[in-house]
Order: sequence, then structure tokens, then C-alpha cells
Amino acid sequence: MIQLFNVIKNYGSGKPALDDVSIKIEKGEFVFLTGPSGAGKTTILKILFGWEHFEEGQVLVQGINVGRLDPGNIHTLRRSMGVIFQDYKLLPNKTVFENVAFAQEVTNRDQKKIKFKTWEALKNVGLTPKKDSFPPQLSGGEQQRVAIARAMVNTPPIILADEPTGNLDQEISNEILKLFEEINRNGATIVFATHSQEILKPGKHRVIVLNRGKVVSS
Amino acid sequence: MNSATQTLLTSLRTTISNIQANKQTFLISVMTIAISVGILGLFLIIFLNLNALLTSWNQHVQLVVYLKNDISFAEKSDLQDLFKSNSKIQSMEEINKEKAWEEFKLTQKNSGGLELDLGFNPLPDSYRIRFKPSENRSLHISEFAEQVQGNRGVESVEYGKKWIDRFEKFMIFCQVFLLGVGVLLSLGLILIISNTIRLSIYSRQEEIELMLLIGATPSFVKIPFMLEGIFQGLIGSLVSLGFMGAVYSYLKNQFQPSIDSIARGMEFQFISQPFLLILVGLSMLIGFVASYISTYQYMQVLNKK
Ligand SMILES: Nc1ncnc2c1ncn2[C@@H]1O[C@H](COP(=O)(O)OP(=O)(O)O)[C@@H](O)[C@H]1O
Ligand SMILES: [Mg+2]
Repeated sequence: MIQLFNVIKNYGSGKPALDDVSIKIEKGEFVFLTGPSGAGKTTILKILFGWEHFEEGQVLVQGINVGRLDPGNIHTLRRSMGVIFQDYKLLPNKTVFENVAFAQEVTNRDQKKIKFKTWEALKNVGLTPKKDSFPPQLSGGEQQRVAIARAMVNTPPIILADEPTGNLDQEISNEILKLFEEINRNGATIVFATHSQEILKPGKHRVIVLNRGKVVSS
Repeated sequence: MNSATQTLLTSLRTTISNIQANKQTFLISVMTIAISVGILGLFLIIFLNLNALLTSWNQHVQLVVYLKNDISFAEKSDLQDLFKSNSKIQSMEEINKEKAWEEFKLTQKNSGGLELDLGFNPLPDSYRIRFKPSENRSLHISEFAEQVQGNRGVESVEYGKKWIDRFEKFMIFCQVFLLGVGVLLSLGLILIISNTIRLSIYSRQEEIELMLLIGATPSFVKIPFMLEGIFQGLIGSLVSLGFMGAVYSYLKNQFQPSIDSIARGMEFQFISQPFLLILVGLSMLIGFVASYISTYQYMQVLNKK
């Protein structure tokens, strides 16, 4: 489902952000991507959904050769994944409901189903009471959950999450982890990037450890 | 609802909210378009009216064939046969020199000139020939004039050829001028509109980037801005033509009588329907091209990242 072969990514001068990275993730897996800050977790996710180029190696996602993908066709790749960005990327002038509905509108889902599916996604993350609020009025954990609802609303086969428990306390982090496990049980492949060691402790899922752009263990 | 109409509806909503968010730049752009279309329309009105004037004068042109004093009877009847055989001719009037002289003296007197008495008649006999109204009337006249000119017994022919030729050349110059002005204004408008669209795009940058990240197609992102450009062209040209139409009907009411006296049967023209459609279509096309350029450039920048 997701494969990286000897990927090298260089942002410019200095040592590469990814140095000969090879990873294989099977369909339906739940994988933690971890390592200290600056290890290259975000870079891997960005490469997976075609936001960053890479210099060498090959990346396959659902049979799509990401490095060879024409800019005009990136949407085919991106529609197969829901992404939770480290900085959420919610639109501040749209309500919670509109933010989640937006992900369906831009991918041309059936207008009639949008309301229903948005409602359902908000219910899954427990945010229906806040549906008419604007993101700046929400707490960090709530914004995080809006981002999750938006990523899952199109039921993509792959979910990429970049530090989705970033600045949240332990209790909320565990809630959010449970949400991802739930999504995973429904069939989605999950790649969960985190620098937190707390969240890995239960040891239920595979862990890929990165350090300075190299895979240390997987 | 199929997905194409849905895309269009969603785009339309985005377009409208884009316009609302950037009302001022939108209005400035629309006004610029309106003024440019106004300039073009004004020239077009002048051109169309000159053209109508030319046509109206052309339809009044007649051929006068002056005869030699010593024309024989046989030569005269040859000439008359020639006139009868031409199907383009509407009527023919023979004017003997006495009648012509009386007419001439009468018009001199009426216009307050001197009463002429030369003691002899300087005018020759003549035929005054009217042609049927048609597209190539003046061409028929000049062709026929040449034919008649060669006949025996003909002193000279007259139909204001030089004057019409000059006017027609001037009209060709007008056409080229009009085209030149049109091209220049179009290029200027493309620059201006593409700039407004660029502003509109940059005010939505965050949203556009997100849209692309969560799987929107490039065209889904572009369409609202293309629509915005097309709307600017549409609204700008409609405002302008509406305004000109109002001014036109006012002027027509005021000045139609004096036009009647210059050229009988000529009506003060507004921009004719095909040209109206062309102007509106051209403005929309300009809006489309301009917004296409801006969105294309923006996408190129994004892809380089
Ligand atoms: N846009 C960028 N320009 C230059 N360097 C970058 C950029 N993004 C990341 N890096 C560098 O690449 C390395 C990996 O970064 P990142 O993938 O963000 O790590 P992580 O997400 O694991 O903290 C770091 O050294 C970082 O400084
Ligand atoms: Mg990171």
C-alpha cells in the first residue's frame, strides 16, 4: 500500500532531511512514525501526499508512482488520503461544520450526502455542539478534532496524521488515539507521526523510529 | 444533479463571495472595462453613422451623361438602347439644354445669387440616370459610366466618382483605426483584469492551498476565478452599453431632425446588434483570457514549490 525505496530528500544545503529511507506499510496497518524533532517525520508525510519533491528513490502509494506524478494529477493521490496537518490548517472564517463540509465540496461529493456525512464525522469526534463555532474560538484539542473529522469525512483508505496529539494533555491524547484506532478498525491504513513517547507505551502498534533522516528501527 | 453542474454551482458561490470580499477592486475593474468598451463603442457609433451616411449618399448618386451638340439621331438611339438594356437602371430622364438652363437659373436665384443672363445657353443636352438601390450600386454606376463614356456623341459623364472614392478610402482607414483601438484597449484590459484576478487569488491563497492539499483538481480551483474574470467583462460591457444606449436615445430625440436635413432617409444609428454581441462577447473573452493568465501563473508558482 505505501512503499518508500531508498528515498533521499534534500531541502538545500546541509545534510539531507531524509537519507536513504526505505519503509513498507501494509494495507490496514496502524503505524507510528517517531523520532526526535527534526528527524524527518513531517518530511515523509509531505512526500507521501505529494507536497514535497524528493531527489532520489521511489515512492509508491496505492500503486501510484508519486515521484512521476504530473502536477495536474496530484489530486488523484490526495483523494486517497486524509491528512491531519501539524498546524491543523483550518479555515478561520468558516465554521466547524463548513470546514468539514469543505473537504467534500472540493472533491465534488454528492451535495445531498455532504450534510449527513459532515454531521456523522462531527459526531464521531464529539464536536456536534460546536458545529457553528469558528476555529479561533476552539481549544487546541477541539481544533485537532475538527482536523480529524475533516480528514476522515471522505472515508479515505489512508490517513496521515502529523503530531495529532501535539500539544494536548495525556487524557485528550488518549481520546484522540482511540479515535484513530476506531478509524483503523473500519479499514483505513494509519500513519501516525509523533515525537511523544507516552503515546507509544501501550505497544499495540508497529513503530518506525527515525533519527536524523535515517530509519533506526521499524 | 450531475457533478458538472454541481462544480459550477459551488464555483459560482465561491466567485460571488470572492467578489464580495474584494468589492472595490472588482468595481474598479468593471469601471475600467466599461470605460474601454465605451471608447470602442463611441468610435463604433461614429463609424457606423459615417457608413450609413455614405450609403445614403450613395443611393442618391445619379449618373449624368452630357451629350455633344452635334450628336446624330442614330447615336442617340444607340445610347438609349444601351440604357434600356441595363437591368440596374431604375429610370432615365432626358433633359434638353433649355430645361437644364432654366433649372440652373432657378436654383441660382433661389439661393440668392445673381440673376444670370449670358445671352446664350452654355449647357449641353443630357440624360439623368437613376440606378436601383443595391449593395454595389456605386460600382455599377462607375462601370456603366465607363461603358457610356466610350460611346460616340457623348461629351462627358459625371457622378461624383472621386468624391465617393475618397470617402470610401476614408472608411477603410476608419476600419483599420477601429481595429487598432480595439486591439490596444483589449491588451490594456487584459493587463488590468489579470491584475485584479491576481489580487483576488492572493486574498484566497490560504484556502486555495488547502483545497489543493485535500484533493481539489486544479480546474476546480481555477474555475471561480475564471468566472470572476468573465463576470467583470460581462458586467463592464453591459453597464457601458446600457449607458451609451441611454445617451443615444436622448441624442436621437434631440438631433434626428437636423440629421434628416443632411441626409434624407438616414437614421441616427446606434451600435447594431451584431456589434453589440461582439462587444459583450469580446469583453467576456478578455475577462476569460486575463483570468486564465493569472490562474495559470499562480499554479505554475505553486507547482514549483
Ligand atoms: N521547508 C524546509 N526547508 C528547509 N529545511 C527543512 C524544511 N522542512 C524541514 N526541514 C528540515 O528537515 C529536517 C526534517 O524536518 P521534519 O521533517 O520537519 O522533522 P520532524 O517532523 O521529524 O520534526 C529538519 O532538519 C528540518 O530543519
Ligand atoms: Mg514535524
